Amino acid sequence: MKNIWTIFKKEWDRVIKDKRLLFSVMILPGLMIFLIYTFMGTAMSSLNADKPGNIAIVNPTSAFADIYTPDEGEIIDNVITIDSTEIDTYKDLVDAGEWDLIIDFPEDLETGLVDGYQETLEIYLNGNETQSQIIYQTYRGYLDEYSEALSYQLYNDTTVLVFVIDSMTVDNNKIIGALMASLLPMLVVMFLFSGAMSIGPESIAGEKERGTMATLLVTPVKRSQIAMGKVASLGVLSLLSAISSFIGIILSFPKLFGEDIDFTSIYGFGEYAMILGLLFSTVFVIVGVISVVSAYAKNLKEAGTLITPIYLLTIVIGISSMFGEGANTSWWLYLLPIYNTVQTLIAILTFDSNITLYMMITIFSNLVFTALLILLLNRMFNSEKIMFSK
Amino acid sequence: MEAQVIIKDITKTFILSKKQQKIERVNNKHKVAVNGLSFEAYKGEIYGLLGPNGAGKTTALRCISTLIKPDSGDIIVNGHSVMTDPEKVRESIGFLTSDLKLEAFFTPNYLFDYFAHLRGIDENIIQTRKKQLFEKLGIDRFAEVKVGELSTGMCQKVQIAISLLHDPAVIVFDEPTNGLDVLTAKVVTDYLTELKNAGKTIIISTHIFSVVEKICDRVGIIINGKLLLAKTIGEVGGTEANLENQFFDLVASESEEA
Ligand SMILES: Nc1ncnc2c1ncn2[C@@H]1O[C@H](COP(=O)(O)OP(=O)(O)OP(=O)(O)O)[C@@H](O)[C@H]1O
Ligand SMILES: [Mg+2]
Repeated sequence: MKNIWTIFKKEWDRVIKDKRLLFSVMILPGLMIFLIYTFMGTAMSSLNADKPGNIAIVNPTSAFADIYTPDEGEIIDNVITIDSTEIDTYKDLVDAGEWDLIIDFPEDLETGLVDGYQETLEIYLNGNETQSQIIYQTYRGYLDEYSEALSYQLYNDTTVLVFVIDSMTVDNNKIIGALMASLLPMLVVMFLFSGAMSIGPESIAGEKERGTMATLLVTPVKRSQIAMGKVASLGVLSLLSAISSFIGIILSFPKLFGEDIDFTSIYGFGEYAMILGLLFSTVFVIVGVISVVSAYAKNLKEAGTLITPIYLLTIVIGISSMFGEGANTSWWLYLLPIYNTVQTLIAILTFDSNITLYMMITIFSNLVFTALLILLLNRMFNSEKIMFSK
Repeated sequence: MEAQVIIKDITKTFILSKKQQKIERVNNKHKVAVNGLSFEAYKGEIYGLLGPNGAGKTTALRCISTLIKPDSGDIIVNGHSVMTDPEKVRESIGFLTSDLKLEAFFTPNYLFDYFAHLRGIDENIIQTRKKQLFEKLGIDRFAEVKVGELSTGMCQKVQIAISLLHDPAVIVFDEPTNGLDVLTAKVVTDYLTELKNAGKTIIISTHIFSVVEKICDRVGIIINGKLLLAKTIGEVGGTEANLENQFFDLVASESEEA
């Protein structure tokens, strides 16, 4: 036990006391994730109509202005009044993508209608410009509303058919939960794996290649203790690295989904504790696999080559969370490592009522796999063919 | 005299990969590195294993240190067999060879403590042993310098200190003065003599005649994995020239046979 701790401590110091390594393992992943997702979020929202539009109106009416004038806090479009002689100039601007929309009301629209004329209004937009289309959609809505108001004034009757829209009150938590369940499992598995990948091969294949492992192997320390010490420290370090990525993604959520989706507060202490416990049990399976492959590899480079396909496979398993409704209900599937992590995570995030069962099977399975991998690693450390192959 | 290390007819064959066959320029898949080797080393002596490159010295010493297992035969170290009781053997041996490395990131001080803890030594004994060994080998000023930044000689001395931290009864050093300047080499050979006088059993390998002649009590000449001669330095004739002549004769007769 003491030896496991001594080995754990050395592996820990190797990362924690090395400023460069510490930065690249603990800070960089979170920072990168934060920057990438913030950038993606910003790019996405700038695509989505959040930009104010440029609208030119000929012969505006005050009743219409009342409709489009934004409420407090909404985006204020740039609406100007132009003379009918300026229309062609603005059409050119719209064609060039520099203006979004022109609404050409006939002169004295409202009195004309009262007098019984059928009036036409013209709209000009640029179908090639997303922004122009978005602004058109918005103003089309305002115009419909205006048209309804006008016909009510004229005939005291808006439509024959009246809609009453009713539904159960929206459970915001359920919606956010489903969103998270489709997105997070893949990311979490990726984070755990890439965290383990950034230190595992170095600590085993690297040490083997450089001959520092041999120095350890001439001491009377049991190979099983070396295996346990390494897996334990790599597990904890990988988990910290994954948590760094996790913090990065949570911090970037407001940019990604808008400020009103508050992911952090819909889950309570129970959910967070379960997520942490789940990740803790999973990381040792991942580290175990990476360690075994690294011990088998002749050098660091070969370790990298061998691990990459496994990494891709886990991502594919992670992607499976994006399909299907909620967590899988066949309990035996929770015996499969990685897949069980993904499914249990979905169950936690969607407040599944079977969560206790899933959690227990998953943790049990992960423990068994970790034990088997450590046993295998111990065997490999004992094999001179594997440890001293040239 | 008490035989503390007994090598009993050990054989070690390596399977060569295609790439290795090319490097070694052979078509044979098997390389017999050690071929029926037997010898004994006594308490309070330095036994020198002398041989040309590729003779099998390092392989033999790696077998003694339990890093690899002989295919046949056995080695008894301090009463323990490397085949059945490797952990006990590791407890009694201090092993040095060029392919055991120290992690460049850590300092001698850190690594000394690390390996001492792994060997279960008491904290205050660790500190006195460290002080003593670091002073003896002139490492003290470099105790806090990362191993990666040390010179070859200093690094070798740190490795020696770490291999001896548990005060082993048996010391197995593969080419201990290789790559060292004469001053550093002398520090090492003097210390080995001191350890011998303190009653340790020491086996070293070398291809340098003067080292054998200066510090060894007995010498075994190994060529092609076989021990062709085992004598005391007195029997050899006591001078470097005598040793050299006998060595060349052996090499000549061995290559005639082959
Ligand atoms: N792990 C290995 N796999 C394959 N062949 C090996 C291995 N280790 C040693 N050999 C081969 O066994 C032979 C003996 O090697 P060894 O290192 O024991 O010689 P040595 O006497 O120490 O030589 P040197 O003076 O060059 O250090 C060499 O031909 C070497 O190539
Ligand atoms: Mg050698």
